[in-house]
Amino acid sequence: MSDFLKILENEIQIAALSFMAVVYAIRLVWLFRFRNRKEMTFTAGSARAGAGYSLMNIAMPRAMESTRKRPSFYAQFVVFHLGVAAAIAGTLIIPYAPGVFEIRPVMRLFQAVIAAAFGVGLLRLFRRLTNPVLRTVSSPDDYFSLILLILWFAAGVLAVPNRPEAGEWPLILYFGLTAFFLVYVPFSKICHYLYYPFTRLYLGRSLGHRGALPPRGGKRAAAPSAKVRA
Amino acid sequence: MKRRKTGPSGVVEAPLDTRAQARAKEEGLPSVKDGRLKTYEPGDNVAKFLDLLDRRVSRSLAVSLTACVHCGLCAESCHYFLARPDDPTMTPVWKADQIRQIFKRHVDWTGRLAPWWVKARTLRDDEDLNRLKNIVFGSCSACRRCTYNCPMGVDTGLLVRFTRGLLTELGIVPEGVFNVSRDQWETGNQMAVTETDYLETLEWMRDDVRTELGDDTVDIPVDKPGCDILYTINPREIKFDPRSIAHAAKIFHLARESWTMPKWGWDQTNFGLFSGDDKLGAFVARNVYEAAERLGVKRIVISECGHGYRSTRWEGYTWAGHEQKLPTESVVVTLKRYLEAGRIAVDPARNAEPVTFHDSCNIARSGDLVEEPREVLRRVCADFREMFPNRRENFCCTGGGGLLSMAEYRPLRLEVAKIKADQLRATGAKLVCTMCHNCVDGLADVIKHYKLPLRVVQVLELVSNALVIPGRSGS
Repeated sequence: MSDFLKILENEIQIAALSFMAVVYAIRLVWLFRFRNRKEMTFTAGSARAGAGYSLMNIAMPRAMESTRKRPSFYAQFVVFHLGVAAAIAGTLIIPYAPGVFEIRPVMRLFQAVIAAAFGVGLLRLFRRLTNPVLRTVSSPDDYFSLILLILWFAAGVLAVPNRPEAGEWPLILYFGLTAFFLVYVPFSKICHYLYYPFTRLYLGRSLGHRGALPPRGGKRAAAPSAKVRA
Repeated sequence: MKRRKTGPSGVVEAPLDTRAQARAKEEGLPSVKDGRLKTYEPGDNVAKFLDLLDRRVSRSLAVSLTACVHCGLCAESCHYFLARPDDPTMTPVWKADQIRQIFKRHVDWTGRLAPWWVKARTLRDDEDLNRLKNIVFGSCSACRRCTYNCPMGVDTGLLVRFTRGLLTELGIVPEGVFNVSRDQWETGNQMAVTETDYLETLEWMRDDVRTELGDDTVDIPVDKPGCDILYTINPREIKFDPRSIAHAAKIFHLARESWTMPKWGWDQTNFGLFSGDDKLGAFVARNVYEAAERLGVKRIVISECGHGYRSTRWEGYTWAGHEQKLPTESVVVTLKRYLEAGRIAVDPARNAEPVTFHDSCNIARSGDLVEEPREVLRRVCADFREMFPNRRENFCCTGGGGLLSMAEYRPLRLEVAKIKADQLRATGAKLVCTMCHNCVDGLADVIKHYKLPLRVVQVLELVSNALVIPGRSGS
């Protein structure tokens, strides 16, 4: 392994990660400068239960009509984000626990997950380019972030076998993109995962206090199938 | 002023109409003079708007403004987009982006660093503000259906209300919004009902119920101290639908309720919810809370009104900075309690026609009541059937968000009401029941426009119909 790759896998990643952490910290300070409203009413439910339900929404595709009606969209979401998790894990496993990828089935599993995410990324890009709604609302950052992720997945598939002796360029590409990501992410839409817990928490707490979340009792709100209805 | 229907983007292009504002200034209305009711003044409104934006954003709004990933999943939760599937400007994400882009450019650092990269933009002049007005007032009923369908938890309904509030502060509002706000500031109720009209209507309804029951002890007490409940109503009940007061009075009488209505602070509706004006919201809500405390009642009961319930039960306490001291409930909850306790007897056969139920957005999605009205209806109707989707997934009556008062947006409102019309038609019901006066008018418009064989009723009416009156032959 060349010295350049060693530095790229270690020092540069740590520097980029530190940069991201600092920017995130500033971002959180910025967010907390906005005041929070105090609830002054008797509760009709539980703010805590509402917040918990809201935060767990990510794992409940049946909870929202938008994902319930589009199971394939939800499946894509799962695959895409599993790919992100696997690709992030790869950047830690390769330099710090390379033995893991010497276990062939594990390495193949990572490759498969990241490759699937790559495929979903292409589908998402196609959707963003062809769907008039998405085309109207998308910013350059929306496209760039997605393309960057697709490239990163592609690099991840090639880099996960971790064989610098067979050529270092997949690893250089993978770690180079990772370092760029770490610096770019706080300024892009990709940092939505930083906000996700807050949006979900505030919404869930407010609606939980009112007893609107989690939904209580009642039968299904959506239309039953034609067969059931008949 | 000539009004164009819609522009190329699909958004209604209505110019700012300030005639009512000019009249209010000429008349020297106290609310205008002391600055509570804002009027439009040409000048640097963009700077004022941006200043307000920076000062008023709360944390929950800030995260909603930053967290959207433009996934587009919200689109098909919106009845505007479902009715106009080829028009991206009808999607919640596009509408929310109109304020989000300004927030990014002026408050959030990403937009300040590289505005074009994240599609951040600024406002140029009052024309831009007027365009924003047409979007947030004219193409969204703030029903929050998209909020429940956003994977990120972005509250677009709240963003729309927030933006409306900034524009209201500059007097850049539809004429109808100005008029209703003016009436509520000036008279304490949104339909400018005078005290004489109010008291005479109550007496008229009291006499009607006395005649109907053949019982001279029936009363509609006003300002009676120490009662168990304070009953507050929608001014529409005085103006257009006083029978709903009679239904309540009849039921309260038969349930032997200790109740009163206040002489002041009886309007539980609150246009501050629709205009985004928290100060108006606080004023109106405080009137009700103070009336309850003045009369020493044990509970506030809100007649059937969606936004009135949301405002008085939930938002009003926060707007007014008034810690809740008394239980505050919808009359439907009161009715449920009477039925469960056997305080009133009912015969569902008296409501034989098939009935479906329309959930009010403000009650189901921004409040807590979805099962309660159903439990009441199942007891008082012989044939209750659900519409689909229902409960928190129900579609807006299309008159929500104060849209009934904004004539310039009526054609678009009725066009997108096709979704609601289809939903109603599919039930096969003859009656559609709702616990909201606003929805009564919204649904009546839909029914008339789409020629549906339905009539709108409210829970009180159906309970009143089903009452078994002791000692009455045939009961």
